[in-house]
Amino acid sequence: MENTEVKAKIEWGVVFKLGLILFVISAVAACLLALTNYVTEGTIAAMNEQSNIEARQEVLPEATSFEAVSEADLADIISAAGIASADELPEAYVGMNGSEIVGYTFKTIPGTGFSGDIEMLTGIAADGTISGITILTMNETPGLGANATNPEFKDQYQGLSATEEVAVSKTGVSGNEIQAMTGATITSKAVTDGVNIASAAYQQLVK
Amino acid sequence: MNDLKLTVSSSPHIRANHSTASIMQNVIIALLPALAVAGYVFGVWALALVAICVISCVVTEAIIQKLLKKPVTINDWSAVVTGVLLGFNLPIGAPWWIAVIGSVFAIAIVKQCFGGLGQNFMNPALAARAFLLASWPTRMTSTAYIPVSDTVTTATPLALLKSGELASMPTTLDLFTGLNGVYGCIGEISALALILGGLYLIIRGIISWRIPVIYIATVAVIALVAGQDPLVHIFSGGLMLGAFFMATDYASSPVTAKGQIIYAIGCGLITMIIRLIGGYPEGVSYSILLMNLTAPLIERFTKDKVYGVTKAKKEAKA
Amino acid sequence: MNFGKNLTRGIIKENPTFVLLLGMCPTLAVTTSAVNGMGMGLATMVVLICSNVVISAMRKIIPDSIRIPAFIVIIASFVTIVGMLLKAYLPSLDAALGLFIPLIVVNCIILGRAEAFAFSNGIADSFADGLGMGLGFTLSLTVLGSIREILGVGSIFGHALFGASFEPVLLMILPPGAFLTLGLLIGLINFLSKKKA
Repeated sequence: MENTEVKAKIEWGVVFKLGLILFVISAVAACLLALTNYVTEGTIAAMNEQSNIEARQEVLPEATSFEAVSEADLADIISAAGIASADELPEAYVGMNGSEIVGYTFKTIPGTGFSGDIEMLTGIAADGTISGITILTMNETPGLGANATNPEFKDQYQGLSATEEVAVSKTGVSGNEIQAMTGATITSKAVTDGVNIASAAYQQLVK
Repeated sequence: MNDLKLTVSSSPHIRANHSTASIMQNVIIALLPALAVAGYVFGVWALALVAICVISCVVTEAIIQKLLKKPVTINDWSAVVTGVLLGFNLPIGAPWWIAVIGSVFAIAIVKQCFGGLGQNFMNPALAARAFLLASWPTRMTSTAYIPVSDTVTTATPLALLKSGELASMPTTLDLFTGLNGVYGCIGEISALALILGGLYLIIRGIISWRIPVIYIATVAVIALVAGQDPLVHIFSGGLMLGAFFMATDYASSPVTAKGQIIYAIGCGLITMIIRLIGGYPEGVSYSILLMNLTAPLIERFTKDKVYGVTKAKKEAKA
Repeated sequence: MNFGKNLTRGIIKENPTFVLLLGMCPTLAVTTSAVNGMGMGLATMVVLICSNVVISAMRKIIPDSIRIPAFIVIIASFVTIVGMLLKAYLPSLDAALGLFIPLIVVNCIILGRAEAFAFSNGIADSFADGLGMGLGFTLSLTVLGSIREILGVGSIFGHALFGASFEPVLLMILPPGAFLTLGLLIGLINFLSKKKA
């Protein structure tokens, strides 16, 4: 360092040796990771699938099996229903009981939450009523917006009509309305937006 | 900063005939009209809540100072002022324990943990209000209360403004005097009473006119530009209380004249951003707290240049 | 002989959270409940012990000049393995800790102990150091999480403590609650340790 005029001389032997050591460490690590991945992959996939089915069954209890709506159909629905962005409706399933269609489930991601996206699932029965909703992931404030996962709030949607928009009320509930959570109007509205996106898609789907 | 031999700060210098106690007593005198209106409109419970806050603040201050083996300075009246201001920031429906917890938080955490009087980096009463608002939002946002139709809680004028329910808006005169129908926290209802108190403080030389006047003017101008009634904006919510009594806190606002102007404009700007596009209907407390945090920075950049220093620097460079 | 000392040092005297102030990001972010704090602590402890032992075992093989990249590779591998195992076998904890599991990689405690201790000490001592530091971290996070859960939710490890009339201090499970609790606890610990000295 003191003598800046001496040019740094690269000792290739050392470089290769260091590289080789790092390579060996990385290779061993990669092998271990691959091994763990091999062991856990099946379990994780099965668990995800299982929890997805459970979530769909929770919002549409009458269905025993589900068939995904194809991506092309979904894209048509999204444009026909006037949904702002395809990101808001990533998945839709047709709920079957035997060969009979009993309803639909829609995964919606309304971008209007208080903090971050809310990923939720809405079930709509074949008769056009909302059969249930569930929140998959959310980042809302604990104690306020996060109360949307409580049955007291989300069960309000059960039985409401999916052929018209659900509205949010701060005081009394009348007609196709839900009561907003105290101190968390924004979250209440966002969840309702999610339900309304599902309703709009439902209306296109049964047309 | 404190170990410098010479600390020259620009005006306002606290005049020699004002001791901390006399300043604080004057602030309390200035707060009395608003307290009277609160008692007249809300009844005894409003006075009781303020009293609970004052007693809790003073007792907390005494206990903490005893525990820390510091001199007990409760007779400088500063804890009393914090108590009154905190009481003014509570909704009439607040239970007694919210007043106590808020007072303990204001004095123990915000004031004494940072070194006591003059060292607090933000206004203790406002910080306590923010703490209470985040902790018990439903209790703290049920602020408005119209006694004429007993115990009916309704939205504040600003909340009405935000949700577009203009039909139920009170008249501007009602907002100004606060005497008929009441919409807000205990101490913020009557703009008239608060302006009287503020004028008293300015005339007595306790506070400078700059922060309150520029703060309120900024709010009015932004309201005008946004196409809303500026009078409604300046007479409603906590603006008068905040501008005259809380934004002017010595410890947490800049001392330089230029700094005070920047600080006051910042307060007004943030208040209106929150009111017009934020999630909350009212933004006075958060805007003052945010600007409190910037006060040291503002002060650093607006310090008057000491004669000769710039020149010396240039010479040193060359 | 030194084993016991290496073990206990991390728990109190050099507690990574309250004394060394390392790993503040997970400390502040995940301690919204006692279970989350403890889970994060234990996951970190597993990674810390593994990385300490492996790095100590390999300290003669790893040349000085590339020790940091080597540490990172080793630590990141363990974190990824722990992450996958959690996802597969403890999905509820994985959902609660979410993003913070992969972030264990950048937890300063792990790299810090690798650099300061494991790279220059034997395997048994490094194991003890990792265990002690891990326990200290777990303990701190559990204490923080418990205080915040008791005040902010009114429960401990999910069991309700008070009657229905208790109105929790919501702020305590929000981010400011983490800073307040941590600050007051550090103050208390400094006060107590000064008194002892």
